[in-house]
Amino acid sequence: MDVLSGLMQGFAVALQPLNLLWCLVGVVLGTVVGIMPGLGPPATIAMLLPLTFLMNPASAMIMLAGIYYGAKYGGSTTSILLNIPGESASVATCFDGYQMARKGRAGAALGIAAIASFIAGTVGVLGLMLIAPPLARMALAFSSPEYFALMALGLAMVVLLAGRSMIKALLAMLVGLWLAGIGTDLFSQTSRFTFGQMELLSGVDFVVVAIGVFAIGEVLANMEGREAAKALPFPKGVRNLLPTMQDLKDSRFAFANGSIVGFLIGVLPGAGSTIASFISYGLEKAVSRRPEQFGQGVVEGVAAPEGANNAETGGALIPMLTLGIPGSSSTAVLLAALVLWGFKPGPLFIPENPALFWGLVASMYIGNLMLLVLNMPLVPLFAQVLRTPVYILYPIILGIAVIGVYSTSGSLFDVWLLAGFGLLGYLMRKLDYPSAPLILGLVLGGAMERALRQSLMMSDGSISILVSRPVSAVMLSLALLILLIPLFNKVNTWRLRALEK
Amino acid sequence: MGKKLALVAVLAFSNAVFAQGFTPTRPVEAVVHTGPGGGSDLLARAVALMIEKEKLLPVRMQVVNKTGGGGAVAAAYLAEKKGETHTIGFFTGVWLTNPLTSAEAKVSLKDLTPVARLVLEPALIAVKADAPYKTLAEFVSAAKQKPGELKQSGGSITSRDNVVRQQLQRAGGARWQFISFPGGGERIAALLGGHVNMMVIEPAEAGEHIRAGNMRVLAQVTDSRLPAFPNVPTLKEAGFNVTPVPQVRGVVAPPGIPRENVAYWEGVFKKLTQTESWKKFLADNQFEDGYQNAADLTKFYEEFTGQMRGILQEAGIKTVR
Repeated sequence: MDVLSGLMQGFAVALQPLNLLWCLVGVVLGTVVGIMPGLGPPATIAMLLPLTFLMNPASAMIMLAGIYYGAKYGGSTTSILLNIPGESASVATCFDGYQMARKGRAGAALGIAAIASFIAGTVGVLGLMLIAPPLARMALAFSSPEYFALMALGLAMVVLLAGRSMIKALLAMLVGLWLAGIGTDLFSQTSRFTFGQMELLSGVDFVVVAIGVFAIGEVLANMEGREAAKALPFPKGVRNLLPTMQDLKDSRFAFANGSIVGFLIGVLPGAGSTIASFISYGLEKAVSRRPEQFGQGVVEGVAAPEGANNAETGGALIPMLTLGIPGSSSTAVLLAALVLWGFKPGPLFIPENPALFWGLVASMYIGNLMLLVLNMPLVPLFAQVLRTPVYILYPIILGIAVIGVYSTSGSLFDVWLLAGFGLLGYLMRKLDYPSAPLILGLVLGGAMERALRQSLMMSDGSISILVSRPVSAVMLSLALLILLIPLFNKVNTWRLRALEK
Repeated sequence: MGKKLALVAVLAFSNAVFAQGFTPTRPVEAVVHTGPGGGSDLLARAVALMIEKEKLLPVRMQVVNKTGGGGAVAAAYLAEKKGETHTIGFFTGVWLTNPLTSAEAKVSLKDLTPVARLVLEPALIAVKADAPYKTLAEFVSAAKQKPGELKQSGGSITSRDNVVRQQLQRAGGARWQFISFPGGGERIAALLGGHVNMMVIEPAEAGEHIRAGNMRVLAQVTDSRLPAFPNVPTLKEAGFNVTPVPQVRGVVAPPGIPRENVAYWEGVFKKLTQTESWKKFLADNQFEDGYQNAADLTKFYEEFTGQMRGILQEAGIKTVR
């Protein structure tokens, strides 16, 4: 009943014409920012902060939040069309999204991304509305040992992301873990693998590696076969521009998986949407009836990670709004905005500002709907990008990649790094090394190492802390189970072969 | 009448002195070492807003994020802009400590032109509300009884969090664990979740948790009591003879800029710190006024660096300079 009256109050705020307008401005801006690699939601929100002083806080919050979740919708576009992840959370979308585009199914991939985003985004808001306070308490029970187990679970996904050769996948993952180790060690303040370069003191930016290995590597590899690749296949007929009923049916589980995994991981202040999207992708593949087709362009391989990174938004707002604890740079900027407007974010924020909270929740339902309505007609339009002949498209991809990387750090060093990782991506393609495990190692490596060392400091060096805590023990067993999957498969093949004989 | 005229004359004169030297003619670039939403970034954006509102600059101030190297990249960027009159940077104490521990961070604040110190950030020592310790002395004696068992969450090992710990451990003859978390949110979550026993926290962050009854403050890391915490003892009052190492923020300019340019920036930031907007900003964020002019700031560098080097070496952290 409380929820209902709160929601009524919220819609009364969110449906005011001015707030509807600001919601629209926010989600449109968010979509644009999401599409452009480099400039992310935190930077955009920070830049717009001065403007919000002229607005009332409810409108401002509605708009800024719109940018935050709107960007998640836009992020998939360049991943699918150009293999350039628009932001780190859309890296997992590249795996199958770009392959679908190459098979002439770009429209279906974009469409399913929008639908998954809508469903999961809405589930995320539902969760935020219904179970925020108990979930926030639960998130506090989650500490370093549990984070370590979660990262281990994520890393176990490598056996699912491997291509033909498990050894090559593991090697790529190790390189990713090594890359994650570059920089200043938080615990001892010593430099690791910096080769005297001050730019490396804070490590290698994940976006640089992802764009280099995926986008630049892809362009370089395709340039070799320039005779053959005059244009990417383009969907024929209107029907192929949107997802089919079969696509929706195939994605049924992915919608639920993405929503729940994304939301739950979003609530944890130390995880984030990138990890959520990877775990959701891995889970989708683990339970799929056609795991062998993952990475070659299956629709649920797009729906799961896209859903996860949108549901994450609703989850991430929970610790921020109920405890005043930001889990990501986007929520940190939103929190700073609340302080600048004179609010005191913390445990008493929602009870003392119900109109603002419920207005935000209601606006997020509206905003997600707006995004779906906005994005679906854009799908066929964006798909037209692939009509561009490759001799024009590839230079554009290179340009976007360079600008995207430069705009995040303002450093030319990162552009050189991008070139280096582009070359690495090319070599990995030539030598048939999968790039997904490398990215996985890089995403999880840093957080995993930190969590392990924190755990061991907590227990004064005893490793039993990892298995004596129930949540961590369960997740580690799951990780072990996933690691055994290839073995089961092997046993199964032997068994079948024996039966045939 | 005569008095008024004199005042006008003085104003006109001071304006003339001001205008005579240097006035920016194109947008001013304000370099910060954090990404959007980081401490320096937020300060720079707030300053840009206040400067615009109080009409202290004839041009716009634009925040530029040069992230990486824990401040080293931004400092090096400023050093490269030698003689550039339309660029300033917002520094923190990290710009002084980082070169002490990282050989790669070659540019220190001392290589740049000092302009002004602006802010001092006070801190509190907080425990979870249901913790058994009612005073700092109780916490330290509990740590003494169980060496290495109590835990503190904090930032990197060179952060103020750990500096306070080192000082307290020495003064109280105790030892407890220091667990680094990269994000401020994670540090608070670790305390509220009961995974660590104590943390050093900024007053603005702690305020709401105290009001909600989740957190208790044992002492404040300040020289004198903060207005918002009149009943909380300072470290000295709590019985620990410790001089707090200040957490500072301020403004620097590239090396080799003309003297009138330095004077101009000094004037702008001195005026800024006298405005009502600035006072409100300090109060809202529970910062202390840390204003120092360029000459005093240079002296502060030496003092701070010396203090930090001693503490780091005592903590067993390798210093390279």
